[in-house]
Amino acid sequence: MRYDTVIMGGGLSGLMCGIALCKAGQRVAIVTSGQSSLHFNGGSLELLGYVDGQPVTHPLESINQLPAGHPYQKLGAERIAALAHEAALVLADAGLHTTGNANENHCRISPMGVMLPAWLTLEGYVALPMGKDCPWRRVLMVNVEGYLDFPVDFVVSGLRKQGLDVVVADVVTDELEQRRHTPSEMRATQLAKVLSTRVATEHLADAINVAAVDVDAILLPAIIGLTDDSLERLRQLVKLPLHLVATLPPSVAGTRMQAQLRHYFQMLGGTYLLGDTVTCASFNGDAVASVETEKLGDMPLRATHFVLATGSFMSKGLAANFERVYEPVMNLDVDADGSRSEWTRYDVLEPQPYMTYGVATTADFHVVKGGKPVPNVFAIGSVLSGHDAVKNHDGTGVSALTGLAVAHNILGK
Amino acid sequence: MAEEMQLTNTSANNFEQCLKCSICTVYCPVSAVNTAYPGPKQAGPDGERYRLKDPDFYQETLKLCLNCKRCEVACPSGVRIGDIIQQARMNHFTHRPKLRDVMLANTDFVGSMVTLVAPITNFTLGLKPVKVVMDAALAIDKHRTFPAYSGTKFERWYKKHAAAEQDTFAKHVSYFHGCYVNYNFPKLGQDLVKLMNAVGYGVRLLEKEKCCGVALMSNGLYKQARRQGETNMASMRLAIERGEEVLTTSSTCTFTMRDEYAHLLGIANDDVRAHLTLATRFLYRLIDEGSVQLAFRPDYKRRLAYHTACHMQRMGWAIYSIELLRMIPGLELDVLESQCCGIAGTYGFKKENYATSQAIGESLFQSIADANVEAVVTDCETCKWQIEMSTGVPVENPISVLADALDVEKTKKLNGL
Ligand SMILES: Cc1cc2nc3c(=O)[nH]c(=O)nc-3n(C[C@H](O)[C@H](O)[C@H](O)COP(=O)(O)OP(=O)(O)OC[C@H]3O[C@@H](n4cnc5c(N)ncnc54)[C@H](O)[C@@H]3O)c2cc1C
Ligand code: SF4
Ligand code: SF4
Ligand code: SF4
Repeated sequence: MRYDTVIMGGGLSGLMCGIALCKAGQRVAIVTSGQSSLHFNGGSLELLGYVDGQPVTHPLESINQLPAGHPYQKLGAERIAALAHEAALVLADAGLHTTGNANENHCRISPMGVMLPAWLTLEGYVALPMGKDCPWRRVLMVNVEGYLDFPVDFVVSGLRKQGLDVVVADVVTDELEQRRHTPSEMRATQLAKVLSTRVATEHLADAINVAAVDVDAILLPAIIGLTDDSLERLRQLVKLPLHLVATLPPSVAGTRMQAQLRHYFQMLGGTYLLGDTVTCASFNGDAVASVETEKLGDMPLRATHFVLATGSFMSKGLAANFERVYEPVMNLDVDADGSRSEWTRYDVLEPQPYMTYGVATTADFHVVKGGKPVPNVFAIGSVLSGHDAVKNHDGTGVSALTGLAVAHNILGK
Repeated sequence: MAEEMQLTNTSANNFEQCLKCSICTVYCPVSAVNTAYPGPKQAGPDGERYRLKDPDFYQETLKLCLNCKRCEVACPSGVRIGDIIQQARMNHFTHRPKLRDVMLANTDFVGSMVTLVAPITNFTLGLKPVKVVMDAALAIDKHRTFPAYSGTKFERWYKKHAAAEQDTFAKHVSYFHGCYVNYNFPKLGQDLVKLMNAVGYGVRLLEKEKCCGVALMSNGLYKQARRQGETNMASMRLAIERGEEVLTTSSTCTFTMRDEYAHLLGIANDDVRAHLTLATRFLYRLIDEGSVQLAFRPDYKRRLAYHTACHMQRMGWAIYSIELLRMIPGLELDVLESQCCGIAGTYGFKKENYATSQAIGESLFQSIADANVEAVVTDCETCKWQIEMSTGVPVENPISVLADALDVEKTKKLNGL
């Protein structure tokens, strides 16, 4: 089986890269073990949220404060601005309309009620101006009875810290009640499924309208709008502006982003092999000739270029045993501390060194094996070394931008 | 050493690899429509921890699982969630299966009986009063249409019309046809023979073929399933020793014999597994290597949609069927979003599951209606029953589509016959 490019890993970075390549007419296959870390995403993409513990207002201006090995330093501010613009357009083409831009961050609300800097936020989700006055004075926070993946007290206290007046109302509808039969399935995405019918959306709107008295806006945990237009319908049915607040994962927003991007990639002619794992690569001299997967077995995928987009430790793009940190598919060179005691800090809240570990790459993201760059293999996204998504809030930005940048490198632009 | 310790520290169905991300719950078709089902994470790895401590934690609701394996496809940690659930059912479900379940499970026994009397059976199974009785007495849902039984078994047709000619070929494959081809739809088997013969392969049947047993397993008849599995593996070994690959035309039979035999029934099949493959995969390989070529009829023109059956998704082989279909110049192919059709073998035949089954399939049926195609193509026969019953759109196997589009004479010439 032969492709122009084979991408290993179908999360945000792999899909962004695959979409850009398909658009340019390439034959592309993405192989991905399972669903990606996008499922933890609360509805916002982050370009750069914090530097040295301080919130960032103008991400493009703060990029030069990042350490030398950071993927953004390989791109430079000018290219980042262009790629960020392109990323928002790709999302929109995939049906994911967002607010925000790379020049100025806005605020999203985390499920724990913390205001966090964000670059792009999906339409319909809370996006507040950063460091400026909030457009609302008094809001209704809707609480769904029996739903535990939304710690409402934290969110309310976070909103009150912003000087907002918050009213909380418990909302019950027949459909939501029915979902309570199995507490283990009382999850954002499962609620969104029961709320997807016209009737269920109307019931929810009615219940909300009863409670929405004397407020400027309605805030609802993100439990609607998984695959269909039920969020838009609900927003039309309620009498005041309604915005979603991120819940604990797996999230409606992340699941939707994953599905829409994958769908768009397939619409452009891309092949998406879900549930398969790349096991090893065959080299022809310094270059990779083909990769093997678990399911395709002895029928390898051949390609001109390969892209490693396998994510970090959680996605198994990186692995560690008692002796070393390694890259499991091709045993590529990694940037990581040698001794196990240096990988972590005792205090879990401190920045953890292992978060910056990843595969070593050249200035244009070629991977390196045995000290030598592999001429036809690139790496993108959170498998890259040099950035700490927890500390800098730059994970989705790095994934989207390096994905697009490498597509351009492959296309020779 | 360190590596080995970490690798070998996993249990049979690796429940401890679960990171509790809950991604599996997002993709379970049952949990989406039936709020009584605890969902893959709870029924699978979470419940397993409890069940290991005390079997009383076993819940009857586990039987709502379709064994579609879509949770496993989604899991980023490679947890065999579906296997954990099926294993729990095997270990903890001790009632004797109901008469109805035994009947539904014995696809080849029931099949052999009714083939003798096919026209009568088709007539009676289609009759309203009979359906009402089956609904009431056996709890087989009255909305279901039974797949029609054909008058001539595939095996008989083969012996009479095909067997002799097969020896004239230089190369051979063996064919596991399954009960569906044998009793309900011999044409698919005939299409496979036509296709393989055109590219220079004779088709042989196995010494002894038994139903793969998937329906036995889902209805709790594990011992019988194991016996049948051992028979199939023994017959396949004989074929493999002769240097023949064993081909199939059903994704579920294939998945059952390649994966479920080892994972759930404890049948050692490592030696057979590498040689047991879907005909579409075998054919794709030959074409990809350049060792055979297909020529298609210039007047062939159709618009079809491809549906990825659950076990096809789990095997990761839909790509072969899709790529083969895309080789037909006159074929416009719409690849549908991969999702469960809801029937899962005998599951959807049971009265208590009918509503769940149809609710699961609803969005697929809608997308088929929207696609506005002449027919749907899929590698699974139970999907065929479900889609045909629920949408009225005919369903074909990719092998039949290829055989139909094939220019036999030209193909033979291209392959030096
Ligand atoms: C728990 C968690 C929470 C996060 N929360 C946020 C957030 O709220 N906001 C935010 O902006 N960012 C967040 N991030 C970061 C952000 O999600 C990631 O940086 C970004 O989405 C990573 O995308 P990726 O494509 O690089 O990798 P991933 O999303 O990890 O995707 C990698 C894919 O590759 C597959 N894969 C791995 N190995 C193989 C192989 N050998 N063969 C085939 N496939 C393979 C995996 O199954 C996976 O699907 C979070 C990350 C994590 C882990
Ligand atoms: S998807 Fe896998 S790892 Fe996540 S909860 Fe389900 S079984 Fe556990
Ligand atoms: S096998 Fe299918 S029905 Fe069973 S838990 Fe997994 S996804 Fe749900
Ligand atoms: S899957 Fe095939 S062999 Fe198994 S029961 Fe069905 S038809 Fe018979």
